[in-house]
Amino acid sequence: MAVELLNKKQTELTLKEVIEKYSDISPYAIIKADVQRRTVVYSERALEAADKNIHQVQARGIFASVGEKHDYMPVSLILRDGLSILTGPVTTLRNAPYVVDKIDGKLYLTDSGELVEEVEYWYKPDFQDKLTSSGKPMWQIATARPQRLDIDPYSYCHFWDKGDGCRFCNMGANFNRSKREFNKPARLDAEDVYETVREALKQPGRFTNIKMTAGSILSGEEIFDDEVEMYIEILQAVGRNFKTKRFPSQIIASAFSEKQLARIYENTGVMSFTSDMEVLNEKLFASVCPGKSKLVGYKEWKRRIFAAVDIFGRGFVNTGIVGGVETAQPGGFTTEEDALKATLEEAEDFAQHGVSTVHCVWVPYPGSVFQNQNNPSLEYYVRLSKGLYELRKKYDLSIDMDNYRRCGNHPDSDLDRVL
Amino acid sequence: MAIRLEKDIIELVEEDKAVKVLATTDKDGVPHVVFKGSLNIDRDGNLIYLELLESSRTNSNLVNSIWFNKKVAVSVKSEDGRSVQIKGIPVKCHITGPVFEHYYKIISRRIQDADLAAVWVIEPEEIREETYKIRKAEEEKNHPLLLHLDRLAK
Repeated sequence: MAVELLNKKQTELTLKEVIEKYSDISPYAIIKADVQRRTVVYSERALEAADKNIHQVQARGIFASVGEKHDYMPVSLILRDGLSILTGPVTTLRNAPYVVDKIDGKLYLTDSGELVEEVEYWYKPDFQDKLTSSGKPMWQIATARPQRLDIDPYSYCHFWDKGDGCRFCNMGANFNRSKREFNKPARLDAEDVYETVREALKQPGRFTNIKMTAGSILSGEEIFDDEVEMYIEILQAVGRNFKTKRFPSQIIASAFSEKQLARIYENTGVMSFTSDMEVLNEKLFASVCPGKSKLVGYKEWKRRIFAAVDIFGRGFVNTGIVGGVETAQPGGFTTEEDALKATLEEAEDFAQHGVSTVHCVWVPYPGSVFQNQNNPSLEYYVRLSKGLYELRKKYDLSIDMDNYRRCGNHPDSDLDRVL
Repeated sequence: MAIRLEKDIIELVEEDKAVKVLATTDKDGVPHVVFKGSLNIDRDGNLIYLELLESSRTNSNLVNSIWFNKKVAVSVKSEDGRSVQIKGIPVKCHITGPVFEHYYKIISRRIQDADLAAVWVIEPEEIREETYKIRKAEEEKNHPLLLHLDRLAK
Protein backbone atom coordinates (compact mmCIF):
# COMPACT_ATOMS: atom_id res chain seq x y z
CA MET A 1 0.00 0.00 0.00
CA ALA A 2 2.81 2.44 0.87
CA VAL A 3 4.43 1.89 -2.54
CA GLU A 4 1.07 2.37 -4.28
CA LEU A 5 0.54 5.67 -2.49
CA LEU A 6 4.03 6.85 -3.34
CA ASN A 7 3.45 6.03 -7.00
CA LYS A 8 0.09 7.79 -6.93
CA LYS A 9 1.65 10.90 -5.46
CA GLN A 10 4.37 10.93 -8.10
CA THR A 11 1.86 10.63 -10.95
CA GLU A 12 -0.56 13.26 -9.67
CA LEU A 13 -0.58 16.49 -11.65
CA THR A 14 0.54 19.63 -9.86
CA LEU A 15 -1.72 22.66 -9.41
CA LYS A 16 -0.06 24.39 -12.36
CA GLU A 17 -0.42 21.34 -14.56
CA VAL A 18 -4.08 20.92 -13.66
CA ILE A 19 -4.80 24.59 -14.43
CA GLU A 20 -3.09 24.18 -17.81
CA LYS A 21 -4.87 20.93 -18.62
CA TYR A 22 -8.33 22.22 -17.66
CA SER A 23 -7.98 25.63 -19.27
CA ASP A 24 -11.77 26.03 -19.55
CA ILE A 25 -12.22 25.72 -15.78
CA SER A 26 -11.79 28.68 -13.46
CA PRO A 27 -8.23 28.68 -12.09
CA TYR A 28 -9.64 30.22 -8.93
CA ALA A 29 -12.00 27.27 -8.42
CA ILE A 30 -9.08 24.91 -9.02
CA ILE A 31 -6.89 26.73 -6.51
CA LYS A 32 -9.75 26.65 -4.03
CA ALA A 33 -10.26 22.90 -4.44
CA ASP A 34 -6.55 22.25 -3.93
CA VAL A 35 -6.35 24.49 -0.88
CA GLN A 36 -9.35 22.68 0.60
CA ARG A 37 -7.79 19.34 -0.27
CA ARG A 38 -4.46 20.21 1.33
CA THR A 39 -5.66 22.89 3.80
CA VAL A 40 -3.60 25.88 4.99
CA VAL A 41 -1.32 26.99 7.76
CA TYR A 42 -0.43 30.60 8.56
CA SER A 43 2.98 32.21 8.87
CA GLU A 44 3.65 34.37 11.93
CA ARG A 45 3.40 37.46 9.74
CA ALA A 46 0.06 36.29 8.37
CA LEU A 47 -1.31 35.67 11.85
CA GLU A 48 -0.16 39.13 12.95
CA ALA A 49 -2.10 40.58 10.02
CA ALA A 50 -5.35 39.11 11.36
CA ASP A 51 -6.94 41.95 13.30
CA LYS A 52 -9.63 40.81 15.72
CA ASN A 53 -11.35 44.18 15.34
CA ILE A 54 -11.66 43.79 11.58
CA HIS A 55 -11.37 40.15 10.68
CA GLN A 56 -13.30 37.09 11.72
CA VAL A 57 -10.94 35.23 14.04
CA GLN A 58 -13.48 33.67 16.35
CA ALA A 59 -16.35 31.36 15.34
CA ARG A 60 -18.30 28.51 16.82
CA GLY A 61 -19.29 25.94 14.25
CA ILE A 62 -20.82 22.52 14.21
CA PHE A 63 -17.67 20.87 12.83
CA ALA A 64 -14.99 23.15 14.24
CA SER A 65 -14.52 26.19 16.39
CA VAL A 66 -11.92 28.93 16.22
CA GLY A 67 -10.79 31.29 18.95
CA GLU A 68 -12.90 29.79 21.75
CA LYS A 69 -10.01 30.25 24.17
CA HIS A 70 -8.83 33.51 22.61
CA ASP A 71 -6.58 31.44 20.36
CA TYR A 72 -7.56 33.64 17.45
CA MET A 73 -6.96 32.61 13.87
CA PRO A 74 -8.49 33.62 10.51
CA VAL A 75 -11.71 31.65 10.13
CA SER A 76 -11.35 31.40 6.36
CA LEU A 77 -10.17 33.08 3.17
CA ILE A 78 -11.60 34.88 0.16
CA LEU A 79 -9.99 35.12 -3.27
CA ARG A 80 -9.82 38.19 -5.54
CA ASP A 81 -12.77 37.02 -7.63
CA GLY A 82 -15.00 36.66 -4.56
CA LEU A 83 -14.73 32.90 -4.11
CA SER A 84 -14.44 31.72 -0.53
CA ILE A 85 -12.09 29.03 0.63
CA LEU A 86 -13.39 27.31 3.74
CA THR A 87 -10.41 25.67 5.28
CA GLY A 88 -8.31 25.49 8.40
CA PRO A 89 -5.03 23.92 9.36
CA VAL A 90 -4.86 20.12 9.16
CA THR A 91 -1.28 18.98 9.24
CA THR A 92 -1.84 15.22 9.17
CA LEU A 93 -2.60 14.94 5.45
CA ARG A 94 -0.44 13.29 2.78
CA ASN A 95 0.17 16.59 0.99
CA ALA A 96 1.67 19.50 2.89
CA PRO A 97 -0.70 22.41 3.49
CA TYR A 98 -0.44 25.71 1.63
CA VAL A 99 1.03 28.56 3.65
CA VAL A 100 -0.69 31.94 3.94
CA ASP A 101 2.00 34.60 4.19
CA LYS A 102 2.12 38.38 4.25
CA ILE A 103 4.39 39.74 1.53
CA ASP A 104 4.80 43.43 0.60
CA GLY A 105 1.77 44.31 2.68
CA LYS A 106 -0.55 41.77 1.05
CA LEU A 107 -1.68 38.27 1.98
CA TYR A 108 -0.86 35.44 -0.38
CA LEU A 109 -1.36 31.72 -0.62
CA THR A 110 2.09 30.25 -1.09
CA ASP A 111 3.31 26.78 -1.89
CA SER A 112 6.93 25.82 -1.20
CA GLY A 113 7.76 29.53 -1.05
CA GLU A 114 6.13 30.38 -4.40
CA LEU A 115 3.23 32.83 -4.65
CA VAL A 116 0.00 31.18 -5.76
CA GLU A 117 -2.69 33.86 -5.40
CA GLU A 118 -3.64 36.86 -3.29
CA VAL A 119 -6.21 36.28 -0.53
CA GLU A 120 -8.06 38.23 2.12
CA TYR A 121 -9.39 37.16 5.49
CA TRP A 122 -13.13 37.08 6.08
CA TYR A 123 -14.48 40.21 7.67
CA LYS A 124 -16.01 40.28 11.10
CA PRO A 125 -19.74 41.02 11.23
CA ASP A 126 -20.93 43.92 13.38
CA PHE A 127 -22.95 41.65 15.69
CA GLN A 128 -19.94 39.49 16.57
CA ASP A 129 -19.03 40.96 19.98
CA LYS A 130 -22.55 41.83 21.13
CA LEU A 131 -24.50 39.91 23.75
CA THR A 132 -28.03 38.55 23.68
CA SER A 133 -30.37 39.67 26.47
CA SER A 134 -29.60 36.37 28.20
CA GLY A 135 -25.92 37.35 28.21
CA LYS A 136 -24.61 35.03 25.50
CA PRO A 137 -22.00 36.30 23.03
CA MET A 138 -23.70 36.45 19.64
CA TRP A 139 -20.70 34.85 17.90
CA GLN A 140 -21.66 31.69 19.77
CA ILE A 141 -25.17 31.83 18.32
CA ALA A 142 -24.43 32.55 14.67
CA THR A 143 -21.38 32.63 12.44
CA ALA A 144 -20.91 34.79 9.40
CA ARG A 145 -19.74 33.67 6.01
CA PRO A 146 -19.00 36.50 3.58
CA GLN A 147 -22.70 36.89 2.72
CA ARG A 148 -24.46 34.18 4.71
CA LEU A 149 -25.54 33.89 8.31
CA ASP A 150 -25.08 30.36 9.67
CA ILE A 151 -27.06 29.05 12.60
CA ASP A 152 -26.52 25.56 13.95
CA PRO A 153 -29.47 25.02 16.29
CA TYR A 154 -28.38 21.56 17.40
CA SER A 155 -24.74 20.51 17.52
CA TYR A 156 -24.88 16.80 18.13
CA CYS A 157 -25.85 13.99 15.77
CA HIS A 158 -27.78 11.13 17.34
CA PHE A 159 -26.63 8.63 14.78
CA TRP A 160 -23.55 8.60 17.03
CA ASP A 161 -25.64 7.27 19.96
CA LYS A 162 -25.01 3.77 18.69
CA GLY A 163 -21.76 4.59 16.96
CA ASP A 164 -23.41 4.80 13.55
CA GLY A 165 -22.47 8.35 12.60
CA CYS A 166 -21.04 9.07 9.16
CA ARG A 167 -17.45 7.88 8.95
CA PHE A 168 -15.99 11.09 7.54
CA CYS A 169 -17.77 13.29 10.09
CA ASN A 170 -16.24 14.81 13.20
CA MET A 171 -19.44 16.43 14.50
CA GLY A 172 -19.75 14.03 17.42
CA ALA A 173 -16.09 14.33 18.40
CA ASN A 174 -16.19 18.11 18.00
CA PHE A 175 -19.30 18.42 20.15
CA ASN A 176 -17.94 16.20 22.92
CA ARG A 177 -14.68 18.15 23.03
CA SER A 178 -16.48 21.51 22.87
CA LYS A 179 -18.83 20.53 25.66
CA ARG A 180 -15.93 19.40 27.81
CA GLU A 181 -13.62 22.34 27.11
CA PHE A 182 -15.98 25.29 26.98
CA ASN A 183 -19.37 23.98 28.03
CA LYS A 184 -20.95 24.28 24.62
CA PRO A 185 -24.68 23.53 24.79
CA ALA A 186 -26.18 21.10 22.27
CA ARG A 187 -29.18 23.28 21.51
CA LEU A 188 -29.55 26.98 20.87
CA ASP A 189 -32.25 29.03 22.52
CA ALA A 190 -34.80 30.43 20.04
CA GLU A 191 -34.84 33.87 21.64
CA ASP A 192 -31.04 34.12 21.43
CA VAL A 193 -31.32 33.27 17.74
CA TYR A 194 -34.06 35.86 17.19
CA GLU A 195 -31.97 38.59 18.83
CA THR A 196 -28.79 37.66 16.99
CA VAL A 197 -30.50 37.71 13.60
CA ARG A 198 -32.15 41.03 14.49
CA GLU A 199 -28.73 42.48 15.25
CA ALA A 200 -27.16 40.98 12.12
CA LEU A 201 -29.77 42.61 9.89
CA LYS A 202 -28.72 46.05 11.12
CA GLN A 203 -25.58 45.82 8.99
CA PRO A 204 -26.55 46.95 5.49
CA GLY A 205 -25.34 44.69 2.69
CA ARG A 206 -23.82 42.05 4.97
CA PHE A 207 -26.07 39.04 4.45
CA THR A 208 -28.05 37.53 1.60
CA ASN A 209 -29.11 34.25 3.17
CA ILE A 210 -29.69 32.41 6.43
CA LYS A 211 -28.64 28.79 6.64
CA MET A 212 -29.41 26.33 9.39
CA THR A 213 -27.97 22.92 9.91
CA ALA A 214 -27.91 20.49 12.78
CA GLY A 215 -27.08 16.96 13.67
CA SER A 216 -29.83 14.42 13.11
CA ILE A 217 -32.36 14.06 15.93
CA LEU A 218 -33.93 10.63 15.63
CA SER A 219 -36.59 10.88 18.34
CA GLY A 220 -40.30 11.56 17.98
CA GLU A 221 -43.37 9.63 16.97
CA GLU A 222 -41.93 9.32 13.49
CA ILE A 223 -38.14 9.37 13.04
CA PHE A 224 -36.89 13.01 12.87
CA ASP A 225 -40.15 14.47 14.27
CA ASP A 226 -38.24 16.22 17.07
CA GLU A 227 -35.69 17.58 14.58
CA VAL A 228 -38.56 19.00 12.52
CA GLU A 229 -40.06 20.66 15.60
CA MET A 230 -36.70 22.19 16.46
CA TYR A 231 -36.33 23.70 12.96
CA ILE A 232 -39.87 25.06 13.11
CA GLU A 233 -39.24 26.73 16.46
CA ILE A 234 -35.95 28.32 15.40
CA LEU A 235 -37.11 29.31 11.91
CA GLN A 236 -40.20 30.95 13.36
CA ALA A 237 -37.98 32.90 15.75
CA VAL A 238 -35.81 34.03 12.82
CA GLY A 239 -38.90 34.85 10.75
CA ARG A 240 -40.10 37.38 13.33
CA ASN A 241 -37.37 39.65 12.00
CA PHE A 242 -38.80 39.89 8.47
CA LYS A 243 -41.75 41.75 7.00
CA THR A 244 -42.34 39.01 4.43
CA LYS A 245 -43.33 35.45 5.29
CA ARG A 246 -40.54 33.96 3.19
CA PHE A 247 -36.92 35.03 3.40
CA PRO A 248 -33.86 33.67 1.51
CA SER A 249 -32.91 30.69 3.61
CA GLN A 250 -31.85 27.06 3.59
CA ILE A 251 -31.97 24.18 5.99
CA ILE A 252 -29.53 21.31 5.65
CA ALA A 253 -31.31 18.56 7.49
CA SER A 254 -32.16 14.89 7.68
CA ALA A 255 -34.29 13.36 4.93
CA PHE A 256 -37.71 14.31 6.19
CA SER A 257 -40.93 12.62 5.06
CA GLU A 258 -43.33 14.53 2.82
CA LYS A 259 -45.55 15.18 5.85
CA GLN A 260 -42.62 16.63 7.80
CA LEU A 261 -41.40 18.70 4.85
CA ALA A 262 -44.85 20.16 4.28
CA ARG A 263 -45.10 21.01 7.95
CA ILE A 264 -41.82 22.92 7.90
CA TYR A 265 -42.62 24.69 4.64
CA GLU A 266 -46.08 25.77 5.70
CA ASN A 267 -45.16 26.87 9.21
CA THR A 268 -41.94 28.76 8.54
CA GLY A 269 -40.40 31.12 6.00
CA VAL A 270 -37.73 28.71 4.80
CA MET A 271 -37.21 28.74 1.04
CA SER A 272 -34.82 25.89 0.23
CA PHE A 273 -34.03 22.42 1.45
CA THR A 274 -30.91 20.31 1.42
CA SER A 275 -30.47 16.79 2.65
CA ASP A 276 -27.06 15.30 2.15
CA MET A 277 -26.65 11.89 0.54
CA GLU A 278 -22.91 12.20 1.40
CA VAL A 279 -21.96 9.46 -1.08
CA LEU A 280 -23.83 8.55 -4.26
CA ASN A 281 -23.66 4.79 -4.08
CA GLU A 282 -25.98 2.47 -2.17
CA LYS A 283 -23.31 0.02 -1.08
CA LEU A 284 -20.94 2.73 0.11
CA PHE A 285 -23.81 4.59 1.80
CA ALA A 286 -24.23 1.54 4.04
CA SER A 287 -20.59 1.58 5.12
CA VAL A 288 -19.92 5.34 5.10
CA CYS A 289 -23.27 6.40 6.61
CA PRO A 290 -24.36 3.32 8.60
CA GLY A 291 -26.91 5.18 10.72
CA LYS A 292 -28.69 6.77 7.78
CA SER A 293 -28.57 3.46 5.95
CA LYS A 294 -29.99 1.36 8.80
CA LEU A 295 -32.78 3.69 9.88
CA VAL A 296 -33.88 5.17 6.56
CA GLY A 297 -31.95 3.47 3.77
CA TYR A 298 -30.34 4.81 0.61
CA LYS A 299 -33.37 4.44 -1.66
CA GLU A 300 -35.75 6.04 0.82
CA TRP A 301 -33.34 8.88 1.68
CA LYS A 302 -33.09 9.60 -2.02
CA ARG A 303 -36.84 9.29 -2.62
CA ARG A 304 -37.55 11.80 0.16
CA ILE A 305 -35.17 14.33 -1.43
CA PHE A 306 -36.93 13.91 -4.76
CA ALA A 307 -40.28 14.39 -3.01
CA ALA A 308 -39.04 17.68 -1.52
CA VAL A 309 -39.01 19.18 -5.02
CA ASP A 310 -42.82 18.98 -5.09
CA ILE A 311 -42.93 21.11 -1.95
CA PHE A 312 -40.01 23.54 -2.31
CA GLY A 313 -39.84 23.67 -6.10
CA ARG A 314 -37.25 22.89 -8.73
CA GLY A 315 -33.98 24.70 -8.01
CA PHE A 316 -34.82 24.94 -4.32
CA VAL A 317 -33.72 21.43 -3.33
CA ASN A 318 -30.28 19.94 -3.49
CA THR A 319 -28.10 17.28 -1.96
CA GLY A 320 -24.53 17.45 -0.78
CA ILE A 321 -21.82 14.86 -1.17
CA VAL A 322 -18.45 14.61 0.51
CA GLY A 323 -16.49 14.60 -2.72
CA GLY A 324 -13.82 11.94 -2.67
CA VAL A 325 -15.14 9.88 0.24
CA GLU A 326 -16.23 7.31 -2.35
CA THR A 327 -12.55 6.34 -2.53
CA ALA A 328 -12.23 5.73 1.22
CA GLN A 329 -11.08 2.25 2.16
CA PRO A 330 -12.05 -0.42 2.79
CA GLY A 331 -14.87 -0.78 0.33
CA GLY A 332 -14.49 2.41 -1.68
CA PHE A 333 -13.67 2.62 -5.36
CA THR A 334 -10.08 1.70 -6.02
CA THR A 335 -9.68 3.92 -9.08
CA GLU A 336 -10.64 7.55 -9.40
CA GLU A 337 -12.03 6.84 -12.86
CA ASP A 338 -14.58 4.34 -11.49
CA ALA A 339 -15.46 6.62 -8.57
CA LEU A 340 -16.09 9.56 -10.86
CA LYS A 341 -18.16 7.58 -13.34
CA ALA A 342 -20.41 6.10 -10.65
CA THR A 343 -20.87 9.40 -8.84
CA LEU A 344 -21.76 11.41 -11.92
CA GLU A 345 -24.14 8.74 -13.21
CA GLU A 346 -26.05 8.81 -9.95
CA ALA A 347 -25.91 12.63 -9.80
CA GLU A 348 -27.61 12.65 -13.19
CA ASP A 349 -30.53 10.72 -11.72
CA PHE A 350 -30.88 13.45 -9.09
CA ALA A 351 -30.67 16.17 -11.76
CA GLN A 352 -33.37 14.43 -13.80
CA HIS A 353 -35.61 14.73 -10.74
CA GLY A 354 -34.86 18.45 -10.30
CA VAL A 355 -32.27 18.04 -7.57
CA SER A 356 -28.77 19.54 -7.84
CA THR A 357 -25.78 17.78 -6.37
CA VAL A 358 -23.02 19.88 -4.84
CA HIS A 359 -19.78 18.58 -3.43
CA CYS A 360 -17.42 19.66 -0.74
CA VAL A 361 -13.85 18.44 -0.61
CA TRP A 362 -13.31 15.47 1.66
CA VAL A 363 -10.65 16.18 4.24
CA PRO A 364 -9.89 13.21 6.50
CA TYR A 365 -10.27 15.30 9.62
CA PRO A 366 -8.74 14.24 12.92
CA GLY A 367 -11.60 12.94 15.05
CA SER A 368 -13.35 11.25 12.13
CA VAL A 369 -13.23 7.48 11.59
CA PHE A 370 -11.46 8.13 8.27
CA GLN A 371 -8.83 10.39 9.83
CA ASN A 372 -5.84 8.42 8.56
CA GLN A 373 -6.98 8.09 4.97
CA ASN A 374 -6.00 10.08 1.89
CA ASN A 375 -8.24 12.20 -0.28
CA PRO A 376 -8.13 11.94 -4.09
CA SER A 377 -6.02 13.94 -6.53
CA LEU A 378 -6.74 17.55 -7.47
CA GLU A 379 -7.61 16.40 -10.98
CA TYR A 380 -10.36 14.23 -9.52
CA TYR A 381 -11.94 17.25 -7.85
CA VAL A 382 -11.74 19.33 -11.00
CA ARG A 383 -13.44 16.61 -13.04
CA LEU A 384 -16.08 16.11 -10.35
CA SER A 385 -16.81 19.86 -10.20
CA LYS A 386 -16.98 20.10 -13.98
CA GLY A 387 -19.26 17.07 -14.17
CA LEU A 388 -21.73 18.36 -11.58
CA TYR A 389 -21.73 21.83 -13.17
CA GLU A 390 -22.40 20.35 -16.61
CA LEU A 391 -25.32 18.33 -15.25
CA ARG A 392 -26.90 21.53 -13.97
CA LYS A 393 -26.47 23.07 -17.41
CA LYS A 394 -27.90 20.00 -19.12
CA TYR A 395 -31.00 19.95 -16.93
CA ASP A 396 -31.29 23.75 -16.57
CA LEU A 397 -31.05 23.65 -12.78
CA SER A 398 -30.42 26.83 -10.81
CA ILE A 399 -28.01 26.65 -7.88
CA ASP A 400 -28.76 30.10 -6.45
CA MET A 401 -29.57 28.44 -3.12
CA ASP A 402 -26.04 27.09 -2.68
CA ASN A 403 -23.86 29.21 -4.94
CA TYR A 404 -20.46 30.82 -4.38
CA ARG A 405 -21.97 33.67 -2.45
CA ARG A 406 -24.43 31.76 -0.30
CA CYS A 407 -22.36 28.78 0.82
CA GLY A 408 -18.97 29.08 -0.81
CA ASN A 409 -17.92 25.54 0.04
CA HIS A 410 -18.61 23.90 -3.32
CA PRO A 411 -16.07 24.24 -6.15
CA ASP A 412 -18.70 22.92 -8.57
CA SER A 413 -21.26 25.64 -7.87
CA ASP A 414 -18.52 28.28 -8.17
CA LEU A 415 -18.46 27.41 -11.86
CA ASP A 416 -22.12 28.40 -12.21
CA ARG A 417 -21.07 32.06 -11.94
CA VAL A 418 -20.42 32.04 -15.66
CA LEU A 419 -23.60 31.65 -17.68
CA MET B 1 0.30 46.39 -17.87
CA ALA B 2 -1.61 48.82 -15.67
CA ILE B 3 -1.48 52.52 -16.49
CA ARG B 4 -2.37 55.64 -14.53
CA LEU B 5 -5.28 57.71 -15.76
CA GLU B 6 -4.57 61.41 -16.30
CA LYS B 7 -6.57 64.00 -14.40
CA ASP B 8 -8.61 65.02 -17.47
CA ILE B 9 -9.66 61.40 -18.09
CA ILE B 10 -10.67 60.94 -14.47
CA GLU B 11 -12.75 64.11 -14.65
CA LEU B 12 -14.36 62.89 -17.86
CA VAL B 13 -15.38 59.55 -16.32
CA GLU B 14 -16.67 61.26 -13.20
CA GLU B 15 -18.75 63.77 -15.14
CA ASP B 16 -22.40 63.37 -14.16
CA LYS B 17 -23.75 63.80 -17.67
CA ALA B 18 -21.17 61.61 -19.40
CA VAL B 19 -22.49 58.58 -21.28
CA LYS B 20 -20.62 55.45 -20.16
CA VAL B 21 -20.65 52.13 -21.93
CA LEU B 22 -19.12 48.84 -20.77
CA ALA B 23 -18.23 46.13 -23.26
CA THR B 24 -17.50 42.59 -22.12
CA THR B 25 -17.27 39.22 -23.82
CA ASP B 26 -18.55 35.82 -22.79
CA LYS B 27 -16.58 32.58 -22.75
CA ASP B 28 -17.17 32.13 -26.49
CA GLY B 29 -16.02 35.67 -27.28
CA VAL B 30 -19.52 36.99 -27.94
CA PRO B 31 -19.60 40.73 -27.10
CA HIS B 32 -22.10 42.33 -24.75
CA VAL B 33 -22.35 46.13 -24.59
CA VAL B 34 -24.45 48.08 -22.09
CA PHE B 35 -24.83 51.61 -20.73
CA LYS B 36 -23.48 51.70 -17.18
CA GLY B 37 -23.93 55.00 -15.41
CA SER B 38 -22.39 53.62 -12.24
CA LEU B 39 -18.87 53.44 -13.72
CA ASN B 40 -16.49 55.58 -11.72
CA ILE B 41 -12.88 55.93 -10.59
CA ASP B 42 -11.50 54.94 -7.18
CA ARG B 43 -8.66 56.50 -5.20
CA ASP B 44 -6.12 54.19 -6.84
CA GLY B 45 -7.14 55.32 -10.31
CA ASN B 46 -8.98 52.09 -11.14
CA LEU B 47 -12.39 51.96 -12.74
CA ILE B 48 -15.18 50.94 -10.39
CA TYR B 49 -18.30 49.30 -11.71
CA LEU B 50 -21.27 48.60 -9.45
CA GLU B 51 -23.18 45.50 -10.54
CA LEU B 52 -26.79 45.51 -9.39
CA LEU B 53 -27.94 42.20 -10.91
CA GLU B 54 -26.03 39.12 -9.81
CA SER B 55 -27.18 36.95 -12.69
CA SER B 56 -26.68 39.59 -15.39
CA ARG B 57 -24.75 38.86 -18.56
CA THR B 58 -22.27 41.65 -17.74
CA ASN B 59 -21.57 40.17 -14.30
CA SER B 60 -21.07 36.72 -15.78
CA ASN B 61 -18.74 38.14 -18.42
CA LEU B 62 -16.73 40.03 -15.81
CA VAL B 63 -16.29 36.78 -13.90
CA ASN B 64 -15.15 35.22 -17.15
CA SER B 65 -12.66 38.10 -17.56
CA ILE B 66 -11.12 37.84 -14.11
CA TRP B 67 -10.89 34.05 -14.40
CA PHE B 68 -9.34 33.94 -17.84
CA ASN B 69 -7.59 37.30 -18.06
CA LYS B 70 -9.86 38.75 -20.77
CA LYS B 71 -9.96 42.50 -21.30
CA VAL B 72 -13.06 44.66 -21.13
CA ALA B 73 -13.61 48.09 -22.69
CA VAL B 74 -15.25 51.20 -21.36
CA SER B 75 -16.27 54.03 -23.65
CA VAL B 76 -17.07 57.44 -22.19
CA LYS B 77 -18.52 60.43 -24.01
CA SER B 78 -18.97 63.82 -22.36
CA GLU B 79 -21.74 66.30 -22.99
CA ASP B 80 -19.34 68.44 -25.08
CA GLY B 81 -18.48 65.52 -27.36
CA ARG B 82 -15.14 64.41 -26.01
CA SER B 83 -14.85 60.63 -26.11
CA VAL B 84 -12.27 58.13 -24.85
CA GLN B 85 -12.07 54.39 -24.69
CA ILE B 86 -10.35 52.65 -21.77
CA LYS B 87 -9.40 49.01 -22.02
CA GLY B 88 -8.71 47.19 -18.79
CA ILE B 89 -8.82 43.99 -16.86
CA PRO B 90 -11.02 43.18 -13.85
CA VAL B 91 -8.70 42.55 -10.90
CA LYS B 92 -11.06 42.35 -7.97
CA CYS B 93 -14.68 41.52 -7.25
CA HIS B 94 -15.85 42.77 -3.87
CA ILE B 95 -18.90 40.84 -2.69
CA THR B 96 -18.36 41.54 1.01
CA GLY B 97 -16.24 43.68 3.30
CA PRO B 98 -15.82 47.41 3.86
CA VAL B 99 -15.50 48.42 0.19
CA PHE B 100 -18.65 46.50 -0.72
CA GLU B 101 -20.60 47.93 2.19
CA HIS B 102 -19.42 51.47 1.38
CA TYR B 103 -20.86 51.25 -2.13
CA TYR B 104 -23.93 49.34 -0.91
CA LYS B 105 -24.87 52.35 1.20
CA ILE B 106 -24.21 54.79 -1.66
CA ILE B 107 -26.28 52.86 -4.18
CA SER B 108 -29.10 52.30 -1.68
CA ARG B 109 -29.36 56.07 -1.23
CA ARG B 110 -29.25 56.70 -4.97
CA ILE B 111 -31.65 53.97 -6.15
CA GLN B 112 -34.27 52.93 -3.65
CA ASP B 113 -34.80 49.34 -4.80
CA ALA B 114 -31.20 48.65 -5.78
CA ASP B 115 -29.52 45.54 -4.36
CA LEU B 116 -25.79 45.64 -4.96
CA ALA B 117 -24.38 42.33 -6.17
CA ALA B 118 -20.71 43.18 -6.69
CA VAL B 119 -18.20 45.99 -6.81
CA TRP B 120 -15.84 45.35 -9.70
CA VAL B 121 -12.41 46.92 -9.83
CA ILE B 122 -11.08 47.27 -13.38
CA GLU B 123 -7.42 48.16 -13.79
CA PRO B 124 -6.88 50.39 -16.85
CA GLU B 125 -4.29 49.11 -19.32
CA GLU B 126 -4.84 51.25 -22.41
CA ILE B 127 -6.50 54.55 -23.28
CA ARG B 128 -7.59 55.49 -26.75
CA GLU B 129 -8.80 58.94 -27.78
CA GLU B 130 -12.09 58.58 -29.65
CA THR B 131 -13.14 62.23 -30.06
CA TYR B 132 -13.97 62.58 -33.75
CA LYS B 133 -12.05 65.82 -34.40
CA ILE B 134 -8.89 64.47 -32.83
CA ARG B 135 -9.16 61.09 -34.55
CA LYS B 136 -9.84 62.81 -37.90
CA ALA B 137 -6.73 64.95 -37.57
CA GLU B 138 -4.66 61.85 -36.76
CA GLU B 139 -6.12 60.01 -39.74
CA GLU B 140 -5.27 62.80 -42.19
CA LYS B 141 -1.75 63.10 -40.84
CA ASN B 142 -0.95 59.39 -40.74
CA HIS B 143 -2.93 58.14 -43.75
CA PRO B 144 -2.99 60.89 -46.40
CA LEU B 145 -3.89 58.32 -49.08
CA LEU B 146 -7.13 57.30 -47.43
CA LEU B 147 -9.74 59.71 -48.68
CA HIS B 148 -12.21 60.14 -51.57
CA LEU B 149 -10.91 62.21 -54.49
CA ASP B 150 -14.15 64.16 -54.90
CA ARG B 151 -13.32 65.84 -51.64
CA LEU B 152 -10.19 67.30 -53.27
CA ALA B 153 -11.81 68.21 -56.58
CA LYS B 154 -11.91 71.89 -57.75
